[in-house]
Amino acid sequence: MKKAIGDNMIPKEWGFEKGLELVKQAGFDGIELWLGDAAWFQMGTPDSEVRELRRKVENAGLVVSNVSTGLHWASPLSARDPKVRALAVRIVEREIETAVLLGTDAILLVAGLVTPEVPYNEVYQRCLEALRPLGEKAARSGVRIGCENCNAEQRFLISPREFWQFLNDVNSPAVGIHLDVGNIHDTGFAEQWIEIHGPRITRIHVKDVMTKRGRCGDQSVYTNLFLGDNNWPAIRGAMTKVGYDGWLVAEMEARYRYAPDQQFYDTAHAMDRLISGRF
Amino acid sequence: MGITRRRFLSYTAGVFAGLRALPLDRTSRRYVLLDLNERGCFRESVSGYESALTSAGARWIRADARWMSPSRCAVLIVPAALGIPPLAVRAIASCLQAGASVILESGAGFAADREFRTHRVVLRDYLQVHIEQPVDLWPDNGSQRIPYVDYTWPRPAKVRDFSRVVPLGRQAGEVIARVDGLPVALKRSSGRGRLIVLGSPLGPALWAGDAEARRWLFDCLRTAGGEGA
Repeated sequence: MKKAIGDNMIPKEWGFEKGLELVKQAGFDGIELWLGDAAWFQMGTPDSEVRELRRKVENAGLVVSNVSTGLHWASPLSARDPKVRALAVRIVEREIETAVLLGTDAILLVAGLVTPEVPYNEVYQRCLEALRPLGEKAARSGVRIGCENCNAEQRFLISPREFWQFLNDVNSPAVGIHLDVGNIHDTGFAEQWIEIHGPRITRIHVKDVMTKRGRCGDQSVYTNLFLGDNNWPAIRGAMTKVGYDGWLVAEMEARYRYAPDQQFYDTAHAMDRLISGRF
Repeated sequence: MGITRRRFLSYTAGVFAGLRALPLDRTSRRYVLLDLNERGCFRESVSGYESALTSAGARWIRADARWMSPSRCAVLIVPAALGIPPLAVRAIASCLQAGASVILESGAGFAADREFRTHRVVLRDYLQVHIEQPVDLWPDNGSQRIPYVDYTWPRPAKVRDFSRVVPLGRQAGEVIARVDGLPVALKRSSGRGRLIVLGSPLGPALWAGDAEARRWLFDCLRTAGGEGA
C-alpha cells in the first residue's frame, strides 16, 4: 500500500512547492489534489497549469494519488435546481479531465445531500441519473469515480448495504466507493464496509473518529490516527482479507495549533504502522 | 417575449397546413404525455409521469406536439413546462377544444428571469392563465417546517413541495391546491375540455415514488375523463 495526504492540509501561506517538499520529506508517496480548495487548483485552472502542477509533483518525487473535491457540498448532484445540477456534473467532468492530465485513475465525489428540503428518494434517483452517464465518461477516460461515504454529513447511504445497493443500481464498473474509515462514526464498523465493498473501493481515506463525542459547535469528532475509536487492527485485517493494496490517503480535519508540519510527520509514521500492521 | 402574436399565429397555421400530410396516431391510447424536450421541461418530471402511468398499467403515449391527435386524447399531460413552443400551445388548445382534459405543469420555479417572463406571457396570451413570480418556499435553510402542497380536488392530498412554486394569479377557475396559503393549482372549463394548471411540479414527486402523489394523479385522471388508471 502507498500513502498520500491531501494538498488541503498544506498551510495556505506555504504555497504548493514548499508543501510538496514537506509531503515528500515526511515520507508520503503521493498527494491528493483537491479541486476548488487551494488557489493552485481551481475549476478555472487551465489544462496547461494543471500539467504544470503534475510536473511539480513529479519533480518533488511524488505522484498524484487521486483528485478530490469538496465543491459538491455547495453544488450537489442531487440539487433540485437544474442549473446547480449542471454545475455539479461539470465539476465531476473537470475532475475526470484533470485526473487524466495529472496521471491518476481515481476521483472522489460526494454523491448527494439529503436535506430537510430535498428528501432521500429524490436524492437517490438524481444521483443515479447523474452517475450513469458520468460513469461512462469516466470509463472512457480510464478513471474510476469513488463516491465518498460521508454518512453523517450527507444523511445518505448510511449503511454499507445501502451503499452496495446504490452501486448495483448505478451498475458501472467505473463507479465505486472512496471509503473514509473515519466517517462511519457509531453507525457501523469500518472493517465491515471494507469487507462488503472489497474490489469496488477506489481509495481509502484514513482518519480516526471519537464516536461518543458527536459534533458540538466547532468541536471536531475527528482526530489523528490511533487517538480515536476506530478498530485499526480490524481495519488492517479487512484490507488484507479483500486484497486492498491501493492508496491510503490521510484526511485530517483537526490541525495542529503549533508546528503544523509536525502533523505530516506524525501522520506518515502512523500510516507506516498501519500498513505494516505493527500495533 | 421573443415572438409576436401575429408571428405565432402565422407560424402555427403554416405548420398545421403541413400537418395534414402527416400520419395520424392510429392507436387508441388515451393519456398523452407532451414531451417538450430538454429545453422545455425537467426530464425527471417527464420520467415521473411515465413511471406512474406505466406502473398503473395505463394506456399512454409520449408525443411530440407535431404528432398530436387531439381526438384520440382524453388527458394531455404537459410535464414541467417552461419554454412552450407555438406548436405545443396549439396542441393544448386543440385538445381542450376536442373535449380533453389538460394537466399543464409549470416548470418555471427555477427559471431565470427572462425565461420566466416568456413563460408567463405565453400562458397569459394563449391560454389565459395568469401566474405570479416564483416563490422560494425554503428561504431559510434552518426551517423545520415542511411546506406540503395541499390538494383539495379531486381528493385531499398532501404532496411534497418542490422548493419553488409558481403561484396563480386571480382568474377564472377553482383553486384546487395551496401551499403556505398560496394558490398553486386550479381547474377550469376550457373549450369543451378542462384545464388543470399545476404551479408546483408533481412529476418529481412521482419520479421519487411518492405514493400520495400517484394516488392524486390517478384520481385526477379518472375524474378528468380518462379511463381507470
